[in-house]
Amino acid sequence: MNAEGTAPSPAFIRIHGLEKRFGTRRALADVDLVVERPEIVGIIGPGGAGKTTLLRALVGLLEIRASEATVLGHDLRGDVTGLKAATGYVPQAFSLHRALSVEENLRFTGRLHRLPESDFRSRAQELLSITGLEPFRGRPSGALSGGMKQKLAIACALLPSPRLLVLDEPTAGVDVVARAEIWALLERDKHRAAIVTSTSYLDEAAACDRLVYLQDGRVKADGTPAALSAATPLAPYRVWGDDPRATARAARGLPYVAAARASGRFVRIEVARALSPSPLTLQRALATLPGAMLAEPLPPDLESTLLALSRGLTPATRGGSSGGARAPGPAWQ
Amino acid sequence: MSDAPFIIRTRGLTKRFGDFTAVDDLAIEVARGSIFAFLGANGSGKSTTIRMLIGLLRPTAGAIEVAGIDVIRHPRRVRDHIGYMGQHVSLYQGLTLRENVEFYAGLYGLSAADLARRWSELRERFSLGRVEADRAEDLPVGIRQRAGLALTSLHEPRVLFLDEPTAGVDVHDRALFWEWIHERAAAGVTVFVTTHYMEEVDYCDWVAFIDAGRLIANDEPEAIRRRYSSGYRIDLALPPAARERVSTRLGPAGVKVETTPHGVRLTVPGLDPELLERLRACVLEEAEGSVHVARTEMTEIFRTLLAEARR
Repeated sequence: MNAEGTAPSPAFIRIHGLEKRFGTRRALADVDLVVERPEIVGIIGPGGAGKTTLLRALVGLLEIRASEATVLGHDLRGDVTGLKAATGYVPQAFSLHRALSVEENLRFTGRLHRLPESDFRSRAQELLSITGLEPFRGRPSGALSGGMKQKLAIACALLPSPRLLVLDEPTAGVDVVARAEIWALLERDKHRAAIVTSTSYLDEAAACDRLVYLQDGRVKADGTPAALSAATPLAPYRVWGDDPRATARAARGLPYVAAARASGRFVRIEVARALSPSPLTLQRALATLPGAMLAEPLPPDLESTLLALSRGLTPATRGGSSGGARAPGPAWQ
Repeated sequence: MSDAPFIIRTRGLTKRFGDFTAVDDLAIEVARGSIFAFLGANGSGKSTTIRMLIGLLRPTAGAIEVAGIDVIRHPRRVRDHIGYMGQHVSLYQGLTLRENVEFYAGLYGLSAADLARRWSELRERFSLGRVEADRAEDLPVGIRQRAGLALTSLHEPRVLFLDEPTAGVDVHDRALFWEWIHERAAAGVTVFVTTHYMEEVDYCDWVAFIDAGRLIANDEPEAIRRRYSSGYRIDLALPPAARERVSTRLGPAGVKVETTPHGVRLTVPGLDPELLERLRACVLEEAEGSVHVARTEMTEIFRTLLAEARR
């Protein structure tokens, strides 16, 4: 990837050939990740793909091997004390002091980072008001709801205005309203900091500037959500009817159907573009499945994209055969 | 054993912690063999309710019946009939997954033969064979959730309580979780489930929304959609000559039809089978190409509900 920048400034993240082993198990292999400008990078992939391991490596918590591994100018293979001071990290498990109040947790974080009192006050006040935690500043953090705990954890991570913010599933188990607030908090900082976050929510993945898809410890795709979706070899259809579960079962038997998922009123069917009949024929074929009445093509989205990636399907190519020269854009490996 | 249509019932269920009312006069009924979504914002009282339903927490007031058992009077007796998965899957650290499975099988009094049969089925179904020898604390969240879901069914319970089973689970596994939940329901198991993925509400037969411990909506997902949104908007692409014909065909029966530059647009409160049948006929006979259906998604409906409840 070429930086479309001006003067060379140190990249936020420059990692090549990263490998992490736990005993004999290789959790990450041959990972390349370069982040050169402030942006939100989503780390996505199936459970056990290595997402948490990668995020922990980025903040200097793991001993790793790599041909190159610098984060904010610090080499991950050397002394990472300075890196830890310059990075905000929100791990998966709530790790603030439960007995301390919201305000005390912020103050504790401020002291760790040696923020001058006046800076601390203005920054803490700002974060309390945008997170909506102001009315709860005296409440012990252990007594906060799940959504508020996460907002506090992120506020603490943002307090010293880090250049890099690393978050591990910050919104797992968080309700829709709090999720939108957390996301707004990230959006607010994305112009000055690089934000690397894992998520299982498709709407959040779609809101990232860039997605890195991990599977079996390797980066299988890296690109903008739009580019990844456009390259997917699957086309989603929604089939409405009176017995979606029967429709889904029948659909799974069709040679060009990669997956079918029944919802209350419809079935979402992923069709392999390269194998499918013409759109009109396909629409009719799907509408005449058992329990089906109306078939509707949907625009390609991340659900299809992630399914294709998890199955190792390569992008649709005109003329059938894959391989050969690839258009620039998302890298499918 | 009772064959009442409702396998879970509460009346006036209330829980106070000091002067804070976590659950307030809750009355719900869950039909046998149904999938019941129990939703609310963080801190609204969902987990407190579940903990009372399964006999882990004694209510301040009210009545609970689960599988014919008075849970308040016999909190332990209900546990043989239910499977429970908490927000934080409880696997013992330091033990391998397999050792955890054996531990739970012991708690449920499963024979070695039953354990072998059940676990080999579940292990296969949830692809857990590869991590069976891993210690619980080394399992990534997504896999821990898979193991947690599998463990709820070791003793083949009649009611499953799943508290955010899909939190932190990737999209592919979520689809597998739901496929499995649907199969359990088809086999007669009742599933009581919470989630923050609002699209999952449409996978359920019934949905109860709570806020500040009080019920704010309680109905089938489609009925809630009908009440809190303008319903469905269907765009049919049609050649000019066909627009008039289709309008008259679809016009009656409470369907609002407008012509658009590309065809016709219908606005309807719900997509019932009769309407779908007529649409299908139109599409087969008239439409050249696309159908597009738009509806208000549950995320939006949840926001509306919350805003109304908190006004």
